[in-house]
Amino acid sequence: MAHGAPSHAMPSAIRIRDVYKSYGALQALGGVSLEIEQGEIFGLLGPNGAGKSTAIALCTGQIARDSGSIDIGDAGSPRAARARALIGLAPQQIALYDELTARENLIFLARVHGMPNPPHRADELLDMVGLLPRARDRVGTFSGGMQRRLNLAAALVHNPTAIFLDEPTAGVDPQSRTAILEVVMRLAAEGRTVIYTTHYMEEAQRICSRVAIMDRGRVLAIGTVPELVATHGGESVVTVDSVAGQHRVRTREPLREIERALAEGGATAVRIEQPDLEMVFLSLTGRRLRD
Amino acid sequence: MRAVAFLALKDLRLLLRDRAAAFFTFVFPLAIALFFGYVFSGTSSEPLHVAAFVEQASPAASLLMKALDEDGGFKVTVIDSRDAGEQLVRRGDAVALLVVPSTYAEGLDGVFSGGGAKLGLVVDPSRRAEGAMLVGKIHEVAFRTVFAGIGDPVQFARVLDRMEESLKASDLSFTDRLAIRTALSRARTMSAKGADSSSTTKPQSIADWKPVTVEIAELSMRPGVPANTFAISFMQGIAWALFGAVLSFGSGIAEERQRGTLVRLLVSPMSPNQILMGKALACFVTCLMTEWMLICFGVFLFRVEVSSWPLMVAVTLVTAFGFSGIMMLLAAGFRTQGGAQGAGRAVLLVLAMIGGGTVPIVFMPPFLRIASNLSPFKWAVMAAEGATWRSWGMSEMLIPLAVLAAIGVFGLTVGTALVRRSI
Repeated sequence: MAHGAPSHAMPSAIRIRDVYKSYGALQALGGVSLEIEQGEIFGLLGPNGAGKSTAIALCTGQIARDSGSIDIGDAGSPRAARARALIGLAPQQIALYDELTARENLIFLARVHGMPNPPHRADELLDMVGLLPRARDRVGTFSGGMQRRLNLAAALVHNPTAIFLDEPTAGVDPQSRTAILEVVMRLAAEGRTVIYTTHYMEEAQRICSRVAIMDRGRVLAIGTVPELVATHGGESVVTVDSVAGQHRVRTREPLREIERALAEGGATAVRIEQPDLEMVFLSLTGRRLRD
Repeated sequence: MRAVAFLALKDLRLLLRDRAAAFFTFVFPLAIALFFGYVFSGTSSEPLHVAAFVEQASPAASLLMKALDEDGGFKVTVIDSRDAGEQLVRRGDAVALLVVPSTYAEGLDGVFSGGGAKLGLVVDPSRRAEGAMLVGKIHEVAFRTVFAGIGDPVQFARVLDRMEESLKASDLSFTDRLAIRTALSRARTMSAKGADSSSTTKPQSIADWKPVTVEIAELSMRPGVPANTFAISFMQGIAWALFGAVLSFGSGIAEERQRGTLVRLLVSPMSPNQILMGKALACFVTCLMTEWMLICFGVFLFRVEVSSWPLMVAVTLVTAFGFSGIMMLLAAGFRTQGGAQGAGRAVLLVLAMIGGGTVPIVFMPPFLRIASNLSPFKWAVMAAEGATWRSWGMSEMLIPLAVLAAIGVFGLTVGTALVRRSI
């Protein structure tokens, strides 16, 4: 997936304008504005309490905003019936019925959404997430990774165009993580918009076309990962080991620093620590993402 | 509306997959009905308890009572009136009422001359098998008492007198009459000499001959009196069926919230009202299913009689509606599954118990009977009894049905509003 800037030729799939939301005295969102393009995988990054879940709850119509506006495509407010049909949600918590089989879970949700031929749709999705062989097993017997994959499939039963995935790979095995990421990239390739929250920086760097860093109910920065790293990642650290000892230099031009060290001679080892999204986060919030 | 039905179906499927919930909703009420039915009816290997009413005291009647009592298979309670005896049978305190008519002794005198003794037996319809056994026993005992009577020269002389009178009235030929009279005369002589009665002429078809005729009558349904104990216990079972259904679905919203599926439903095209309607529908259907399961068991296997089927249909529908409202109130009161089930069990258990779930309301002390008015279970049980052994008409049924309907309307309106606020 390319990390390029959004194509402004694409229509906005989700528009959030100056949205405020408070729970009593606690302000969960304080004037958030985002514009997410169709076909994007948009990462929402932030520590616990940053306002990510509140933003998702507002965008999926679970709760009402205090002020501002949210539009899902041209269907308007997420609480409108038309918009609901466009929204898919895979909550952070596994939201499935353990006593039902994988197939029964998907058939039930497809029926609730009024999909034609629910059994066929269920089988399609089970195949997509690699669970077709376990279709008739009860969800309670599934591993955490398999439940996560089914949780994702359940969000897709009604062919939504705006898909909200809240920590979809939390606590899963590598095989399931790969399967989930492949599905997410396939959804974006089909032109669907994916809003993705995660604690895994490498995951965000790998799949997100753009990222918003949130903290304390506000958006601190938005951009592609290279843009954010270049703007907020700070300097690279070059460490040169030589017979004279170890020498560490912070620089925005690490290659020039290495050339200089080599020209001086005596270097036995050279290491570069380049800034990444974690550094961006640290520099913007003063905290690590997992704090 | 189809989505509501799918949601209800899903909930029913979940209920059936949860073995504990399914047990307490479907099996437990049946077990309670059978348990109390058998406990109250006193079915055991103890001697059969028979109530006996002797219309007119006589040595023959006393002999029969004594013989029955000494048989070992019976425990005979002689009572003063037929009504009192029937009450004992209705309450299940006696298997049957043996009525010894005033003509019993006289009938025994004509035992060999075409007349014969008659006994009446009033049995509990639900205990016909025990009644049939009782008839056999009565014949056996009566046979012994009849022949004991033949050993008594005075009674035997009366028997022979009756036979000679019958002979005079008969249209037998002169020679036949002469032969029989000679035989009777010889028997009279032998009896007077204390001869062995085994020489007495026995009827030709001795296998068919019975010393007494037992006329069996099943205890008729009397309005206001249950025909048997199961008529009470199966209505009690309905209280426990409703208890199980309300408890299972009352925690349903909290369960959906805890497992995260409520969020998924809220994001679906279903409105919150439709989600709650789905829950209420599942509870309503379960209440109906369990009520009719108990009614069918009671009617087809335990001879519980429904006095009015249309009223019974109305009762089950209104009861299911009322308890769906209670389910919604329970769902509104608690945010967690544990809270809803724990508190729900505590509150509903007390209401079910004072509502006649364990001790039938008719046996409750007066203060508890007044307190039971606060229990919706009381109105459900009372309405079900109204459509069975109480034999109520529509006018009598109006109050319990109105109370249950009002509970349903209140519960669904207020409960739905409260649940909506919490989601």
